Amino acid sequence: MINLPSIIFYTFSVLAIGMAIVVVTSRNVFHSAMALTGTLGVVAGFFALLGADFLAASQVLIYVGGIMIIMLFVVMLSQQPFDALQRQTNTQWLYGILFAAAVAASLIRSFRDVYRGVAAVATDTVPTSAPIGRLLLGDMLVPFEAVSLVLLAALVGAVVFGQDRKAAK
Amino acid sequence: MTLYHFLALSAVLFSIGIYGVLTRRNVLGILMSIELMFNAANINLVAFNYYLHPENLWGQGFVLFVITLAAAEAVVGLSLVLAIYRNIKSVYAENMNILHG
Repeated sequence: MINLPSIIFYTFSVLAIGMAIVVVTSRNVFHSAMALTGTLGVVAGFFALLGADFLAASQVLIYVGGIMIIMLFVVMLSQQPFDALQRQTNTQWLYGILFAAAVAASLIRSFRDVYRGVAAVATDTVPTSAPIGRLLLGDMLVPFEAVSLVLLAALVGAVVFGQDRKAAK
Repeated sequence: MTLYHFLALSAVLFSIGIYGVLTRRNVLGILMSIELMFNAANINLVAFNYYLHPENLWGQGFVLFVITLAAAEAVVGLSLVLAIYRNIKSVYAENMNILHG
């Protein structure tokens, strides 16, 4: 069963897992941020592979274009020269590996028992922007308005925490 | 390429994120690992939507809310990191102990 979607899937998987490992192991935080940008872009590719074109576009716009830019700003504002010489993991890394491996093994095992062999229903891929818009302003209207309140609170919180008290006086 | 493939992939990404949260010393690294875990959960939601309920889009709408809340979390978290950095000149988690009495 070598076909184009599975070739794309395995290529994207290798890219995503490899760059995610760079994110958690790299000594230089800037390299971690660049690898995370790549991982988020590959996740947008997975969304496109799953027929979610609007989500793929908003993943690139919000994550890669927004969140990662802020993160790179903070990384560059908070670097010190001796950071490159210090080890970036704490002394519990062995237990961290064991715990993460246990979580991955148990998740994959339980998914295998329940969802193995669920294949896609053969449908044509259609643009999802218009149905998502109707869903957001129809059935999901209450959480849509609530999330706008959360965004307002985050905006105010970022301004309050970000201002320099001494400089303001 | 079945639903199980996507679930296994997102489980691996999620546990890599857990490893990062548990072991990174840098607070920025911890925030990046949290973003990794958010994305693993998003892949799960979209895959369940595509394979189990292709007739409606509730999974994708939910992912939009998760992305929005992740953006809000990142903005507030990063401004907190900058505020702490201005005070103690360090971004390492073990140095953030000014409340320990």
